[in-house]
Amino acid sequence: MFDPFFLWLESTAFSVWMRESTSIFAFPIILAVHTIGLGLIAGINAALDLRILGFAARIPVVEFKPFLPVMWLGLWLNVISGVALLVGYPTKALTNPVFYLKLSLIAVALVILKAVRWRAFTDDVMSGTVKILATASLVCWAGATIAGRLLAYTYTRLDALAVPIR
Amino acid sequence: MGSFQLWLESTLSSAEPVATFMRTDWGWPAMESVHFIGLTLLFGSIAVWDLRLLGMAKRVPVAAFHRLVPFAVLGFTINIASGSTFLMTEPNQYIYNPAFHFKMLFVALAGLNVLAFYLTMFRRVSTLAPGAPTPYGAKISGAASLVFWTAVIVCGRLITFYRPNMCRPGAQIGFIADCILRP
Repeated sequence: MFDPFFLWLESTAFSVWMRESTSIFAFPIILAVHTIGLGLIAGINAALDLRILGFAARIPVVEFKPFLPVMWLGLWLNVISGVALLVGYPTKALTNPVFYLKLSLIAVALVILKAVRWRAFTDDVMSGTVKILATASLVCWAGATIAGRLLAYTYTRLDALAVPIR
Repeated sequence: MGSFQLWLESTLSSAEPVATFMRTDWGWPAMESVHFIGLTLLFGSIAVWDLRLLGMAKRVPVAAFHRLVPFAVLGFTINIASGSTFLMTEPNQYIYNPAFHFKMLFVALAGLNVLAFYLTMFRRVSTLAPGAPTPYGAKISGAASLVFWTAVIVCGRLITFYRPNMCRPGAQIGFIADCILRP
């Protein structure tokens, strides 16, 4: 149903460049940026979650606050690089249910992060609720990371013109 | 280096059970996912530690942030283990891959940076009072660490784009071969 949209998007100059450029600054570096952003947003969030769960307990939780901008940097790096990747291969991503699972897990992880900030940065003692949230956050980021990796193994259509491979 | 690379190839190929698992439908993707989770743990934790060395969150003593380093070490260990499974299944794709060569170089540089830090700066840095600026050397070490681990990620991403082919007969081989040698 969305094939005309996919065909149009894949015919745009940027999309063609993403797929066909042999420059290292196209697909490879954008993928690398996506990985670095993942390291920042999911990695630092994971460190915060592990702290809430009691590891590295000598760091006051509130001292993770200055690192929020670094996490947002990671998130924005991934939104931008993610959009670029999506414009390059819209059919491949948008016809793959695993892609929607990935985005959902990221959305849930970000909502949890907001809920955690409300509690963890104001409380002295980590409540049971915030510990459950921290566990859920770890699960969501691990799930999003795995879903992202599995995209390359689960897609059915490479582009709008290609024969389905699965 | 060619003979070392050939030796690596034959040694790594001898881990049959690993290769069998990795060649199942989901073996390789599963191990890649583990590798990504390890990298997330490693990069996120080390980024916070390095940024503290560079002066962020100065009110907290450096020694407190040092408690995050074991998570980075855990992530690194996970990646050594998962990375080894790739090497043991398709050794040629890495031994002769220039992106992989550079990735290992940056891992080694990161390791040397860690060694230098612990030998020369750790004691001084771990006794700093809250709010005190970190010494210049510690800042350099933190910045270098961020650069090296970012480079490791970039090079790792580039591995698939620098897959080696068989060496063409009569081709000039450099000091480190970047095509698959015939024994």
